[in-house]
Amino acid sequence: MSTLDVILILAAAGCWVGSALVALGARDDRPGLLLGLAGAILASVGALHALLGGPPSRLDVAFWGVPARLEVDALSAAFLLPLQVVAALGTLYGREYWPLAAAKGSGRALRFFFGTLAAAMTLLFLARQGLLFLVAWEAMAISAFFLVNTEHGKPEVRRAGWVYLVCTHTGTLLLTAMVILLARRLGGLLWVPVPPGPPAALDGWILLLAVAGFGFKAGLFPLHFWLPPAHAAAPSHVSAILSGVMLKTGIYGLLRVSGLLPSVPRGVGGALLALGALTAVYGVGNALAQRDYKRLLAYSSVENLGIVAMGVGLGWTGRATGDPWLAALGFGGAIFHVWNHALFKSLLFLGSGSVLHATGTRDMEQLGGLGRRMPRTALLLAPALLAVAALPPLGAFLSEWFLYRGLFASLHRGYPWSAGLALVALAFTGGLAAVAFARFYGILFLGQPRSPAGAHAHDPGAAMLVPMALLAFLCLAAGLAAPLLPPLLDRAAAPAGLSLPGILATGLARDLRLLLGLELLLLGLGASALAWLRRRPASEQAPPTWDCGYAGGTARMQYTGSSFAEPWAALLPGLRTRMRRLKALFPRPQAFRSEFQDAVGGGLVDPWIGRLAARALRLRRLQPGYLSIYILYVLLTLLAVFLWPLLRERLLG
Amino acid sequence: MPGPLVFPAHVALHLLVALLLPPLVPGLIAKVKARMAGRTGPPVLQLYHDLAKLARKEAVFSRTTTWVFLAGPVATVAAGLVASLLVPFGHTPAPVAFEGDAVLFAYLFGLARFLTILSALDTGSSFEGMGAAREAAFSALAEPALFLGFAALAKATASLSLTPMLLSQGLAAGRLTGPLILVLAAWAIVYLAENSRIPVDDPNTHLELTMIHEVMVLDHSGRPLALVLYGASLKLVVLGALLIDPLLPATGRGWLDWLVFLGGLGLLAVAVGLVESATARFRMTKVPQFLVAGVLASAFAFLLLLV
Repeated sequence: MSTLDVILILAAAGCWVGSALVALGARDDRPGLLLGLAGAILASVGALHALLGGPPSRLDVAFWGVPARLEVDALSAAFLLPLQVVAALGTLYGREYWPLAAAKGSGRALRFFFGTLAAAMTLLFLARQGLLFLVAWEAMAISAFFLVNTEHGKPEVRRAGWVYLVCTHTGTLLLTAMVILLARRLGGLLWVPVPPGPPAALDGWILLLAVAGFGFKAGLFPLHFWLPPAHAAAPSHVSAILSGVMLKTGIYGLLRVSGLLPSVPRGVGGALLALGALTAVYGVGNALAQRDYKRLLAYSSVENLGIVAMGVGLGWTGRATGDPWLAALGFGGAIFHVWNHALFKSLLFLGSGSVLHATGTRDMEQLGGLGRRMPRTALLLAPALLAVAALPPLGAFLSEWFLYRGLFASLHRGYPWSAGLALVALAFTGGLAAVAFARFYGILFLGQPRSPAGAHAHDPGAAMLVPMALLAFLCLAAGLAAPLLPPLLDRAAAPAGLSLPGILATGLARDLRLLLGLELLLLGLGASALAWLRRRPASEQAPPTWDCGYAGGTARMQYTGSSFAEPWAALLPGLRTRMRRLKALFPRPQAFRSEFQDAVGGGLVDPWIGRLAARALRLRRLQPGYLSIYILYVLLTLLAVFLWPLLRERLLG
Repeated sequence: MPGPLVFPAHVALHLLVALLLPPLVPGLIAKVKARMAGRTGPPVLQLYHDLAKLARKEAVFSRTTTWVFLAGPVATVAAGLVASLLVPFGHTPAPVAFEGDAVLFAYLFGLARFLTILSALDTGSSFEGMGAAREAAFSALAEPALFLGFAALAKATASLSLTPMLLSQGLAAGRLTGPLILVLAAWAIVYLAENSRIPVDDPNTHLELTMIHEVMVLDHSGRPLALVLYGASLKLVVLGALLIDPLLPATGRGWLDWLVFLGGLGLLAVAVGLVESATARFRMTKVPQFLVAGVLASAFAFLLLLV
């Protein structure tokens, strides 16, 4: 059992801590950037080794006499790899996006907490002991809180930060309970898989707490409401790592913890499948209602995490029914989608950061026509755009294809009802994602500028474009190198339980090759059609767009994002549209308004918390401000403490 | 499971039909409509002439457009041709078949639609934006109907590949008749919606406000327009094959199967022409209800197969 991989990755975590500390004192970005890149490379080497078939590598340590274990296996590696890629590219991007010398020291604080976030997550994926896991989890959550609060001068940012902090701690509370139960089940804090045996009654509770606690982090409905404001408020490269990687720690936790248990109770998988389906439809439905394009991307993260959760649920169904093929397709599809989402969502956030940087507004109705003004950004976002709509030939299509295969397989065995429901949800999600992102790209980049904010925008510099270009390349590669991936997915899915070595690699090899052949044919046909179009030169004149005979068209007459979303208002619980009915022969000028409020966050949780806070205010009567009364409290407490041992025997017998 | 490449002669014929036949179908539909209205109508081969003429013309591009404007027409044709390889024409197996190709088939049309919507938005025209929003909304509703149909057939035939799903023996007999009728009814709705036919959309209307698909390609001209028109006719054939395959009788002889398929396609075109002559276009607010009826029909078919 080698320890080299673990040591490499621990060194990487050290590098990230170093890059955090350096940011506090350094005059320029170079030392922090170099340390971060070094950490990313070290960790990627270790993770790749584990993913390409290296043996699990572990290191046993002890903290204050409590044994702890750090381990890298393929599952950890599958999550470490996107983390390092996104963190390194984010650091590079942040150099230009948020200069070190930014106002009020926010540049330094941002770099410090970015480094600690990367280090904490690296450690999280290594931890194989309950306490260590919780410590890394908390370090991650707190770093993310400070990152979200980078612009704490703005009230809405502070609010988003507080909501996030409360939610993440509620999640941690549930996870602490889960760790305690798990320690009972495993007979210690060390996370070593239970040998195959009969299921225990505790298993169901552990999984329930895991789904609730990790679900808070992953943004599963109805625990998602903290996510969109927080991810919209954070600086864009932070949003990229939060959406692209940090949400996935919830998925990692689900896979890891369920992998420790010998079996998954029947029904839990189907329930998670249904929950994921609901999350996916809810997330994408709300994404298409957003005016703030970063919030739109955040809601789309809710959607994609729902899809990943569907994969995990499918895998659990496979485990419950003892069907390795189903388990492999579910877990493999989930992990593949985690990779794809990490790449394309980071790219989308970095691209939206460039737009924000150039225009200064997050309101898409102010923008338009950026494709002509920021051609590089627009071109680099194209692969991510196709990927987020799960279209071929990008990787996200393939990961959904894995899930479709799994769902159709489970129609025949296992749970036909939940599979049927999930199937419809996945198809509907695909259709809605196409609507949401046609709207995103169309309103932002196509057409004409709707306000001066977008009229003078221009592409960012190389420090921001290069990370985007690398991510775009990786997005394309994930689609076109797909036949190479099933062996890696097989290894990564193995720790999640019930897998046969190489089951995906052998089962999908022929289908994936044919699929890839067709995708290459698609690209070839597209290229030749384009060449055919180009052979005939276009007309010299460039007239304005044909406006159906009306010769006074302005940019304000373009279709807007709100009108794009309007047909869906009836279906979306959070979107309210207002328009008076037209009356009389010559109606007065009309106005159309649409407002959005999350149905869970703003609609349910906020009023409830408000009432709770109002009730809690009554307790303030206990604090009247007189010293004598406080002394009375102290005396009464002391008296109670002394009396308790005397009375206990009488009272309890 | 048939191999990736079967019967080279049939594959060649498949490719020829997919490449050359499509422009005939809109001509046939137009002819039927004209006859029903008591007119002579344009020749059946009119679209071939139109395509040849457009290929010689130079294209005019609005000064608002970018490269995205060309992506729509290109993707429509490329995705349509690739999808045509996956669907069996009559009782001849498709040139390429693998488990899960039905998903690729559906998503290829999704790709074409997505890029068409983007190229419409690229012009910055309010009419085209309106058409794009409608197309996006309606196709999102058509998607579940298509997939529930796939789910029902996959459950019935234990396969997720179009060739076995559509060509299984005994699909039209016995216990499966009811679900099959429901699935085909749902797919007929999807067919009319995806091909922008009456009663969902009127390809010949002259009022831009009421258009869906046609308004999205208002700004295309020359060769890009030729690709758009050809892609639309290709879609009529490829999705039409999905609809008529389960109904065609298997003759057991290769050439006769082809004749039956071509006859079936002709009948489908006539049927579309008759529907267009007999009904009016729905009000825009009624279209989602029509599509949801399709979803419900295929959902019911799926439920029938589960119990």
